[in-house]
Amino acid sequence: MRHRRQRFHGKGWIVTGLLIAAPFLSFTAMGAPITFNTALPVAKDEFVFRQQLRWLSSGDDPSGMSRDMSVFASISVLGYGVNSKLAVFGVLPWMDKTLEMTDGSADVERDNRGLGDLAGFARYTVWQEDAPGRTFRLAGFGGVTVPTGDDDKSDHLGQLPPSLQDGTGTWNGFGGVVATWQTLDYEIDGQLSYRENRAANGFAFGDETRLDLSWQQRLWPRELSSGVPGFLYGVLELNWLHQGKNHINGQDDPDSGGDILWLSPGLQYVTKRWVVEALVQKPISQNLNGAMLENEVIVTTSFRIKF
Amino acid sequence: MIKIIRMLFLSASLVYVGAWAQDPVYQVGVDGLACPFCAYGIEKQLQKLDGVKSVETDIAKGRVVVTMDDGKVLDRPLVEQAVKNAGFTLRSFEQIEEPAQ
Repeated sequence: MRHRRQRFHGKGWIVTGLLIAAPFLSFTAMGAPITFNTALPVAKDEFVFRQQLRWLSSGDDPSGMSRDMSVFASISVLGYGVNSKLAVFGVLPWMDKTLEMTDGSADVERDNRGLGDLAGFARYTVWQEDAPGRTFRLAGFGGVTVPTGDDDKSDHLGQLPPSLQDGTGTWNGFGGVVATWQTLDYEIDGQLSYRENRAANGFAFGDETRLDLSWQQRLWPRELSSGVPGFLYGVLELNWLHQGKNHINGQDDPDSGGDILWLSPGLQYVTKRWVVEALVQKPISQNLNGAMLENEVIVTTSFRIKF
Repeated sequence: MIKIIRMLFLSASLVYVGAWAQDPVYQVGVDGLACPFCAYGIEKQLQKLDGVKSVETDIAKGRVVVTMDDGKVLDRPLVEQAVKNAGFTLRSFEQIEEPAQ
């Protein structure tokens, strides 16, 4: 669904879609959610490493320029338990972005690949209730992204638009709350987060507000045996993103910002030491401004290990 | 000769069983343990304690059985801290003769 589409400005170099600039800094990841990292459980003096591979596709161009954008990302996440309540995380994305379009009668392709902005954040558990076979956790988290990714790359057509650059060129802050209710049969996680995107070289992506809900249901084994058997979970997540309009030299870009709601089914196999998981995010509602590209699908695979 | 061999074998078996039986075994009840990925942390924390020989988790029962080296004792305060470091809550602590089935 496309509602607030108003007009198309320029040649579409800048206009692409939500989740292009910072598509993979969704910090909801703990014991179970796949699309976020803030819920990852880490004991004191313990490390958890998560390697995610994501592929994102956007298209359905309303501008008549047949734009299609795809992003492949490799996201490495390392978490460390400082103590039983405080954990710190680092997230480093590597991205390969491609924008295809028709400019007049010629087909044009612009692409870029490289390390993105490094993100670091801390999570502190403020409330914990444990009972036999179940637990509830409530935590706050906050952090920054560091401009480690290039934001001034060019190709034969000139400087790449911000959505194709590796990084944002500036420090951005984010924070939120994450809650987990976990039993032996299922787990429910929820995350609410906000990210402030600051300006660099006269451009700033719109600020982002996210709400992520994740439900994991144990499918196998049906009955628990002794020891620590591996669990196969069916996963269903609901992810909502609101992004404000981008700012160009202090002015709102009418072809930016909006809301997307994804429904995301997946599978997850969890053992004592490692986890493998895969999930497909399919938009069920998109309310985008101007001539933005609609998101078509996001596919995520992930591997986790503790040490 | 056969009698002597039998006696030696029996004696060796008794010595082995006696030695096995001397390893103190503790049963630790843990609240909040609800997924396999969480069990690694608590086993790692308990294995750090001095004299711990092995750690076995039963996730369905929220129970961890800790076997000590011969003559070593497991202190409740240390176990409580280890469980807390892993992010869980100690529910019970007792020494048992052998791991409960």
